[in-house]
Amino acid sequence: MQLYVERFLTAQLKGARRDALAVIEDALASGMSVPEVHCSIIRAAQYEVGALWQKNAISIAEEHVATAVASLALSWLYPKLPRVPDNGKRVLMACVEGEMHELGARLASDFLEMAGFEVRYVGANVPTDSLVSLVASERPDLLALSVTMPFHERSLRDAIQAVRSAVPDVPIVVGGHAFRDTPQVAASLGLEHVGVDPDALVTAAKRAVGMST
Amino acid sequence: MSRRAPAPSQADLDALSREFALLCDEQGVLIWHDERAPRLVNATLGVSLHSLAVPGTEPKIEFMLQALRRGDEARFEISLRDGGRPVTVAMRGSRTERGLLFVGSLVAQEFGDALSQLESTMTELSEMHRQSEKQRFELARLHGELGDSSRALLTMHGELDDKLDSLRRADEIRTRLVANVSHEFRTPLNSILGLSRLLLDRVDGELSVEQERQLRFIRQSAESLAEMVNDLLDLSKAEAGKHRLNPRTFRIEDLLGALRGMMQPLLTNQETRFVVEEPPTPVSLDTDESKVAQVLRNLVTNALKFTENGEVRVTAMEEGDMVVFRVIDTGIGIAPENLEHIFDEFSQIDSEVQRRVKGTGLGLALSRRFAQILGGTLTAESTLGKGSTFTLRIPRVHEEVAAMETIASASQQIDPSRAPVLVVEDDRQTMFLYERYLTGSGFQVIPARTIEDARRCIDRVRPAAIVLDVMLDGESTWTFLAQLKDAPATRDIPVMVVTVVDRLQKARALGADEFWLKPVDRERLVRKLGELARRGGSVPKILIIDDDSVARYLIRRLLSETPYHVIEAANGAEGVRLARLEQPSLIMLDFFLGDATAFDVLDDLKVDPRTRGIPVIIQTSKELADVERERLAVDTSAILSKQNLSRELAIARIREALLNAGVKVEAGHGHT
Repeated sequence: MQLYVERFLTAQLKGARRDALAVIEDALASGMSVPEVHCSIIRAAQYEVGALWQKNAISIAEEHVATAVASLALSWLYPKLPRVPDNGKRVLMACVEGEMHELGARLASDFLEMAGFEVRYVGANVPTDSLVSLVASERPDLLALSVTMPFHERSLRDAIQAVRSAVPDVPIVVGGHAFRDTPQVAASLGLEHVGVDPDALVTAAKRAVGMST
Repeated sequence: MSRRAPAPSQADLDALSREFALLCDEQGVLIWHDERAPRLVNATLGVSLHSLAVPGTEPKIEFMLQALRRGDEARFEISLRDGGRPVTVAMRGSRTERGLLFVGSLVAQEFGDALSQLESTMTELSEMHRQSEKQRFELARLHGELGDSSRALLTMHGELDDKLDSLRRADEIRTRLVANVSHEFRTPLNSILGLSRLLLDRVDGELSVEQERQLRFIRQSAESLAEMVNDLLDLSKAEAGKHRLNPRTFRIEDLLGALRGMMQPLLTNQETRFVVEEPPTPVSLDTDESKVAQVLRNLVTNALKFTENGEVRVTAMEEGDMVVFRVIDTGIGIAPENLEHIFDEFSQIDSEVQRRVKGTGLGLALSRRFAQILGGTLTAESTLGKGSTFTLRIPRVHEEVAAMETIASASQQIDPSRAPVLVVEDDRQTMFLYERYLTGSGFQVIPARTIEDARRCIDRVRPAAIVLDVMLDGESTWTFLAQLKDAPATRDIPVMVVTVVDRLQKARALGADEFWLKPVDRERLVRKLGELARRGGSVPKILIIDDDSVARYLIRRLLSETPYHVIEAANGAEGVRLARLEQPSLIMLDFFLGDATAFDVLDDLKVDPRTRGIPVIIQTSKELADVERERLAVDTSAILSKQNLSRELAIARIREALLNAGVKVEAGHGHT
């Protein structure tokens, strides 16, 4: 496993797209499941990237390149997602305003789709106004907000408040790295926080839309 | 010598700079900053570098400070806060005696910002990619399902084709049967009727009383047979859906009056009263009168048959939109177990009265079918030994009539966006077809059922085109057409001439003057000849073209006392030859000539100037099968036949006509 992560990471940092995808393919061929690849390789490698930056081992430029490769790998995996039958529920997935890290949201979207949800992925840094009008017009069965940096707590609060006053009947769930270790923030907003565990997200999502878990 | 410009002010430089400088103590607390630092990273004295950092990135700050404390030179990227957003700052720092000195650059952030643009594009691309993948997946699934469906469809197709084949064959057989029955049965029947009439008219000598009585029995039998054949054919046509509705407006009082008259001869039994009750207020209907009459006649005839003494009463009344006719008798009644079967074809209840009474057993089946065609129902109630009530319930205005009114009233409003097409047609079914086919193509159908209506319409609106059924009103239609073409105002309106495939009317179109039913009535024939003789000069000759020798004989006998010279021909070719040769004053042409039709003969007669002007009377048995229709297709190819009217054909022709006349469909042509 560790070997795959290392190989992937190396390729990521060099921006070597083909090599990175080759690692994914090798992993799948060896019998690893797609969800495992998601978490054990791509996500693990991405955490490494973060750590490397923290250690000042890589620059912001290299971090961007690595993220791009990870993003590509997720796209590559998408057609291979093992799916259960459509459960008829739609989820709108967005990063709050200012939040540029979207890989977590991408990953979460994939897991939700594997669980039968239909996911409308809106991406990083969604201005609160846009978010509100999107939710109002699309009327998803669930709104999922991703926050990676605790810095964006304010943004999250604004977003929650705005959505709740405009479209109070749409349930909301919050996830991401930001409050992984501080669930009380989500609790203070009256929300379930699922951290970074995809299974917890799927369970919470099902509960929120009234499905049996 | 070039001169340097004076140096710009520090303030100007600072304003543009993306860099700043700081001095911290060993713990990272700010003890000095330059002019730019507050603007760029919110630096204030006395705060720690950690507090300027984006929460969560403090460890890196500490890491950097540690490096500097060790004496290493630091080149670090850190995340500081710029107001509400994080900025990446490239710091270079070193340890000095004054403290830890830093120079920070936001260029890294600019770079990051530029990258963000790319990233949002990438997000969109990812989403698009997801969508297209989803679609591909769906497509593959659908493809699989389609494959299965296709296979199933193919199988069904095969089965349907087979069914269709057998249905077609059954229909062909039925049609041929009907045609054969018609011709084969009627020819000898007509012979019997004609000859017996001849004998009874004492044309060839006196009759004894017994002989007369015998002849009358013969006639009665032949008439029964003829009635049976007619019923059979009617039913057959009704089931094949080939009965046309001929609606007209009529009053119940008139219908009932005629019914009374027709039933008179049947009221031989003094014991039974026949009462016809008129409705309390006058009622007029707009539906097929002859079918209503036929049903009532059938019901009354049955009632009279099965009522030995008592009463047969006919009532009629309006019930909302419906008219309800009841035939109530006090006869032998029908047992409950038989009641459901009386409307079956050929069902005859086995009973004494029944056995005494003749009947084909078709009457009620046919009546019920007619009731359906009239848009209504025919039901029966009965108590054995007490009597029966038959109820015919039909809409007062047949829905076809109502629909026609709708078309007519719709045409009262001229729609400026549509080209108005005047359709002169009295057959409602056909009018519907026009309405349906043409309205969808941007035309507005203005219906006219008579030439009168058509004239009134032309006064009101100038149509873009006219569709004219020449069979509508005989002479007056041709006159109308001629007038249209004469008048400068209407000369250029394209007129499409349409005719029915009905062979009788086609014959008229080709120039036949009249139609007579066989067997020919002597008086009528003589009268006709009288008229013609007044026109002509020399010895009046009559040419009979008929493949049936008995029919020819009959005419000859009928005219034996008259000055007319009868010439006979047994087939069409011979008939035409003789016509040319002898120039008769009148030709009597049997419709069904064996292996040729009257049309062939008519064509030949009309084509030749020698014979063109000779009046032709077509003789026919009442109804013939549709077998000729196919043959007629050859003759009517030049004219748009209603029967073959297809939407595309109709529209294409009309469009052509309109284009040729320079009329555009979209424009609001047609206003006077």
